[in-house]
Amino acid sequence: MIGRRQLFGATAGALVLSQTLRTEVAEAAAKMQAFPGSKKSYLPRGVDGRLARLGTLDLESQQDFTLGFRLMHGKELRKASAAAFERVLEREEIDPLTPLTHEQVRRLVETEPAINLASKAWLANQQVTWKTLRDHFHSKADFYLSEMEAADKSGPGVLELAPDLDIPAYARHEIHIQPGGYVGDPFAGHIYHYGTNSFYISVIGHNEQDQVHKATASRLPTPEDGKVKRILDMGCGIGQITVALKERFPDAEVWGIDVGGPMVRYAHMRSRRLGVATNFAQRLAESSGFPDNYFDIVTSYIAHHEMPAEVTRNVIAEAQRVTRPGGVYYPVDFNSGGIKLPARQMYSRWYDHRWNNEVWSLEYHSINFTDEIARRGFSVVKNAKPALPGFGVRHTVRV
Amino acid sequence: MGTETNRPTYTVEAIPSDITNAVFLGNPALDNVVSCIIAMSAEMWASKRRMKVLESLLAKKGVTQDMIEGYIPTADESAAWEKERDRFISLAMGPLANDGFRNIATGFPQR
Repeated sequence: MIGRRQLFGATAGALVLSQTLRTEVAEAAAKMQAFPGSKKSYLPRGVDGRLARLGTLDLESQQDFTLGFRLMHGKELRKASAAAFERVLEREEIDPLTPLTHEQVRRLVETEPAINLASKAWLANQQVTWKTLRDHFHSKADFYLSEMEAADKSGPGVLELAPDLDIPAYARHEIHIQPGGYVGDPFAGHIYHYGTNSFYISVIGHNEQDQVHKATASRLPTPEDGKVKRILDMGCGIGQITVALKERFPDAEVWGIDVGGPMVRYAHMRSRRLGVATNFAQRLAESSGFPDNYFDIVTSYIAHHEMPAEVTRNVIAEAQRVTRPGGVYYPVDFNSGGIKLPARQMYSRWYDHRWNNEVWSLEYHSINFTDEIARRGFSVVKNAKPALPGFGVRHTVRV
Repeated sequence: MGTETNRPTYTVEAIPSDITNAVFLGNPALDNVVSCIIAMSAEMWASKRRMKVLESLLAKKGVTQDMIEGYIPTADESAAWEKERDRFISLAMGPLANDGFRNIATGFPQR
């Protein structure tokens, strides 16, 4: 089993983080166990900090395996793939730093066994992650549907579902090859949450304890006048950063909106279980339905690379409409811009796009996201700090 | 395995990925074998991890790791376990000895 401490390594900073995590986990577990709905039927295997433990030991172990496989893949198989890449580039007399298009890179690696085996194995592991989770939640569908139905109409926080919402085609893809995607499976939120626990496997923090989201929420800049009464998270998914923002600003009215009904249902159920009064609604980010100038902070968490460039532009326009003058708009997402990269990076991007089904990621990278925001009524704060280190810095203020 | 239900699920039809049609290794059968190995490994790890849970629980009941490690099976147990071991190895590793030399397009050999 890959333990938390192994993931964090043995540096002094990591040890401090690990101790902090243990305290946080214990506090969160006590809080969740004290939640009035935490009867045995809700939490069959208890809690691990902020996480309701998976329904069976075998399923938990299968997820533990896929996390371990990702770790091994990141070290060993990626190394073998990189070595093969070097040989290909040498054979073709291409400087490794020469920017290439994805079409050029695809032709180069088409028949390279080590590169393709690494890619295949990574995807097969991803499929096992999703399939084991999906099979479990569907095998106990009555139980999990009843759990959500019980939570739908109870607080804290409100949940608005929109069964008649016309869900655009762009949002119906099986992103990350998750079966049913975010809109087509009644347990999309459950599957996404537990599946992505193995996505965050470095020192940036533990997904199951919302560490990355909490850290990001803590770094989000506030308006200069200090007024934070209302916050919007656009494309909130299962609401991890929405909840983290409400925890940071307990007096604020915090909304998370997402196109996926099952996603916001799960978000609400989980937020409620954590005792956090966050509001969730099934709405489109590009047409949020909130009044003009309503929010002091508008954000999103790694949502824009999952939508076409044109929709990104529409969402920015909507953010401009609902952010009050002087309010902050800070969408967190990857650095963007540039359709050519050195071969290995371009292969990773293309492979993720094509086979991990990141359908819109190449479009996202074809635009300069920050420039697009600056063109739509926001001023970009110079020398701003990243809300999520390693990702794009987009601290902008509504003009 | 999906769920048929009349209860509201707030879902719409998704656009499926074509990942299961992808051929990375030049031969779709080889791709399938890799998928099987990874799935089987996940199952195997689940079994091993369950065993660890059982050992931890047994330890709390007085059955220690030393007792497990030092256990000497009875003669009957030894015989039964060897039989089971050989069955397992034959099943899992037997295909390595398959003598494959016929092209799949060839007809039946002369008898």
